[in-house]
Amino acid sequence: MSNVRQISVFVDNKPNQLAGVMKMIKECKINVRALSLADTSDFGIVRMIVNDTDKAVEKLKAASYAVTVTEVVAISIPDTPGQLSRVLDILGNRNVNLEYLYTFLGKSDRSVSFVIRVDDIENASVALNDGGIIQLTENDIAEM
Amino acid sequence: MEKYWNKEIECASRAKMKKLQDERLVAQVKHVYENVKYYRDLMDKKGVKPEDIKGTEDLHKLPFLSKADLREAYPYGLLAKPLSECVRIHSTSGTTGKRVVAFYTQNDVDMWDECCARAITAAGGTEDDVVQVAYGYGLFTGGMGLHGGSHKVGCLTLPMSSGNTERQIQFMQDLEATILCCTPSYAAYIGETIHDMGLSPDDLKLKAGIFGAEPWTEEMRRSIEKSLGIKAFDIYGLTESSGPGVAFECSEQSGMHINEDNFIPEIIDPDTGEVLPEGEVGELVFTSITKEAFPLLRYRTRDLCVLSRKKCSCGRTLIKMAKPMGRSDDMMIIRGVNVFPSQIETVLIEQGYSPNYLIEVDRVNNTDTLDISVEMNPDKFSDKVKDVQKEERALAGAMKDMLGINPKVHLVSPKSIARSEGKAVRVIDRRKLHD
Ligand SMILES: [Zn+2]
Repeated sequence: MSNVRQISVFVDNKPNQLAGVMKMIKECKINVRALSLADTSDFGIVRMIVNDTDKAVEKLKAASYAVTVTEVVAISIPDTPGQLSRVLDILGNRNVNLEYLYTFLGKSDRSVSFVIRVDDIENASVALNDGGIIQLTENDIAEM
Repeated sequence: MEKYWNKEIECASRAKMKKLQDERLVAQVKHVYENVKYYRDLMDKKGVKPEDIKGTEDLHKLPFLSKADLREAYPYGLLAKPLSECVRIHSTSGTTGKRVVAFYTQNDVDMWDECCARAITAAGGTEDDVVQVAYGYGLFTGGMGLHGGSHKVGCLTLPMSSGNTERQIQFMQDLEATILCCTPSYAAYIGETIHDMGLSPDDLKLKAGIFGAEPWTEEMRRSIEKSLGIKAFDIYGLTESSGPGVAFECSEQSGMHINEDNFIPEIIDPDTGEVLPEGEVGELVFTSITKEAFPLLRYRTRDLCVLSRKKCSCGRTLIKMAKPMGRSDDMMIIRGVNVFPSQIETVLIEQGYSPNYLIEVDRVNNTDTLDISVEMNPDKFSDKVKDVQKEERALAGAMKDMLGINPKVHLVSPKSIARSEGKAVRVIDRRKLHD
């Protein structure tokens, strides 16, 4: 299994909330590899993949943030047209529901990496493997 | 074994207590009529003479006093002793209009200390205990009241006042405090901070807490008892009648015994002023029969509650008042429905949320709006937006079942709603701005 742990942080929909979380992560010398913010009129959820998940969770909890860790799939695909749609088809064909996805920060010329949150991670992982999609491990991400 | 501070009074027969009350009431009415022009005018207007009051059964003949009277008579209008005989004042927080200032002679202070000593003893306190007083000291009656009672019992008294929570906890640990006195919202905050500091109740010697000065629910009691590892006792009082100690809870934890030798309670219909029979809900009215400097007769507290003479397992015969359901001041009328903050607190604790919340009421397009901010419980947080929204709807649903109207619930970050070290501010009503 090559699942990757994602950190989610609950934030209020007020100015500087995301900045507050990022400042804290930066002060701990933790690098963020992927980041997204889902927001509603009331609240937001910051989701991220970092190079030291345990330390980031510990620091955020100590600062009273509501934090949760979820297993997600991280993939790397060629940066050419039609690749993402192929991934979605692979998952759809195995009846895996996609909750959300977002890209890693920065990319190489040839490939692009995504975080994918699905309802059935085991099934998704096998399906992606069968379909020849490269999945990243936490080690891969730490070395990015 | 139940311990009493003053067994003769606390366990007196009904006949003995009535006789004491009758004598004291007759003398008090005479004292007030002779020395307080403001009340004499009220009695004259009603056509009541001191001779008409022969015992507690005549109490209903006397005129009421309300908070409005106290404001009107501010500062000396209700004073019944020369200032030279007064030794102290206390005052209400006075968020609206004029403050209320209450005066005390030395006898008044002694009586108050006696009432608080009974409360501390009922909570299991003896001269071997260490009492940490984390109520505010100053004009507020909480600090000085429990402080005086603790001295009287002979406990080692830590006059901490409120605030500086980490220092409170350090003293609590180092000096092995056994009894904590503060507002329930501050007790909850101390419990939360102990947890955050990585401590548990096992690191403390606390066994009991005496909490009052604001309404709190049974759910909140259980939650504080768990977080501090103590038995939590309610205490009741108001500045107008001396301070905390007018009534106190015993080991049965099912209502507070009123110190009837000093305060005669009545329950009235708040609309008609008619006295209601025992067991009916109404507004609590107190007559202080021993206070010298600031003796209020038939003072309307605006607290809604029930009285009971049912036999108590602790052996005390003093009448009991149920935990007030809320002060009529705290009651909000939203879309025509009566809403108490305590109902919202009950739902939050039942659903596993922090009792630290903020109620905002407003009026938009002639319709009342009710918004309740609740701190996210980290254990219930999911990475999916729809799950968080589902939780908000579930909370709103539980509140609707309790209140009868649909509020909007907003989950906010943990610890983002200001903590209170004294009386908590839970309600912001913006409708008044539009009137
Ligand atoms: Zn009792």
